[in-house]
Amino acid sequence: MKDSRPFLRLKHVTFSYYSVTGETQALEDINFSVQKGSFVVLVGPSGCGKSTILSLISGLIKPVSGDITFYSEDFAAPRIGYMLQHDHLLEWRSVYRNIMLGLEINKIKTAENLAFIDELLEKYHLSNVKDLKPSALSGGMRQRIALIRTLALRPDLLLLDEPFSALDYQTRLSVSKDVYDIIKSEGKTAILVTHDISEAVAMADTVIMLTKPPCSVKGIIPIEFEKYGITRDEVRNSKLFQQYFDEIWGEMKNENTN
Amino acid sequence: MKTQINSSEGQKDYMRKAKLHKIFISFSRVLVFVGFLALWQTASSLKWIDSFYFSSPYAIAKLFVHDIHDMSLLSHIGVTLIESGISFLLIIIFAVIAASFFWFYPSLGKMFEPFLIVLNSLPKSALAPLIIVWLGTGPRTVILCGMSVGIFGCILNLYQAFEQTDAERLKLIETLGGNKLQKYTKVVFPQNIPTFISLAKVNIGLALVGVIIGEFLAGRQGLGYLIIYGSQVFKLDMVILSIVILCVIAMLLYGILNLLNRKVIARWQ
Ligand SMILES: Nc1ncnc2c1ncn2[C@@H]1O[C@H](COP(=O)(O)OP(=O)(O)O)[C@@H](O)[C@H]1O
Ligand SMILES: [Mg+2]
Repeated sequence: MKDSRPFLRLKHVTFSYYSVTGETQALEDINFSVQKGSFVVLVGPSGCGKSTILSLISGLIKPVSGDITFYSEDFAAPRIGYMLQHDHLLEWRSVYRNIMLGLEINKIKTAENLAFIDELLEKYHLSNVKDLKPSALSGGMRQRIALIRTLALRPDLLLLDEPFSALDYQTRLSVSKDVYDIIKSEGKTAILVTHDISEAVAMADTVIMLTKPPCSVKGIIPIEFEKYGITRDEVRNSKLFQQYFDEIWGEMKNENTN
Repeated sequence: MKTQINSSEGQKDYMRKAKLHKIFISFSRVLVFVGFLALWQTASSLKWIDSFYFSSPYAIAKLFVHDIHDMSLLSHIGVTLIESGISFLLIIIFAVIAASFFWFYPSLGKMFEPFLIVLNSLPKSALAPLIIVWLGTGPRTVILCGMSVGIFGCILNLYQAFEQTDAERLKLIETLGGNKLQKYTKVVFPQNIPTFISLAKVNIGLALVGVIIGEFLAGRQGLGYLIIYGSQVFKLDMVILSIVILCVIAMLLYGILNLLNRKVIARWQ
């Protein structure tokens, strides 16, 4: 039975950046909620405030007004893993020591956590690269490592900010599929940001469409391939995929023109 | 991926030519040096130049062997090396402390930056007489002179390098739950190790320059002192020998730091 209470809710969230050159109102009125275990994708034109929303959810910045609420059974603060647009692997550390960065920072290099990292590397066939320097890896490989680095802290919620945008098209397809599989098999709740509509449709349980700035929610579309017995491996060839794509495209095309 | 085909004739031919060229360059360098020494010796033996003013390779070598035996030369070399080494270490230590402090407290950094820029563009030898008045003659003054040439630039460059750390990388540390200290220890400092090495490369030379200036003005020992003393009593063999030794020291220091640099760069990419 599905838990109907959301895991996370944003209510009337607004945000502005202030600087000497003036105020930039980034978010006008953001409302949406995220169910536990779901994969939510935010789509919107570039500069509309997608990264700002993730930074707010992660707690790195505070909203000007509105509420961001997490609901958990044990009232503990949720652990949030945030994967930035670029992998930012540190070139002087080996792949393995890059993955350990979060454990080092939080001073939790316990035997149990180290074993967990080994397990992740093993499970996703990355053990053989762990002693290499990041510069020896391909772009797709680097993103997988960045994901493992995020997962090493066992987050309850994963935030992914355009993690595939720096990859070429072929790599993008295979890496996004891998990342999807990893997140689903770890049973994580995830919010992914992209401006690529087909990527959104392929990965999402729910697509949230955002307007151009100042940003608000334009529409929320549940993506229900599973209901029609279509597995995620084959969605891109299905007619339903085209329908979802066209629907979102139709809504979003007005947002991209200024 | 690099594809390596070592067997192809074209590649073999290219490698042969490249190797020959390298040997040619090394050989011609030696030739230039030996030719210069030979010309110098001939010119002074045949009295084209006055060997009293210009000395000769043979006279210098003789003086070197003689002075090495009575230990005085070695102790002068030792003094200059130690003074330069201490100046260099102090420059590096002060620069790291100051630049780190400025990074942790950016308002302080902004406050002091213009003053550092002014001090850095000053001809540093202008400070030396002041230092002598403050501290008198002796090694303390020499070491401070040695520091005065490089330190302001070193602080400034290191601080500016710290400042330029990619904001997104710092955000990464935040997303992993890190604080400002961890941003420093995990990203800012390690990322700037190469900057650090190249600053060290420049500043070991500057420390030597400053120490020689200091020894000129306030030393009672060291190669700088020998040069000034030699020129005052017209022992020009001694002056030129000291300069030659300085060349060798500079070359060795440069070589060592270059090696270190290459090791670090290999790791840091
Ligand atoms: N640090 C900042 N200071 C000022 N304005 C900013 C800052 N970061 C982002 N902005 C502005 O806020 C808006 C939203 O930015 P962002 O959330 O990065 O958009 P997106 O991720 O959708 O491309 C943009 O107009 C951007 O110029
Ligand atoms: Mg963004």
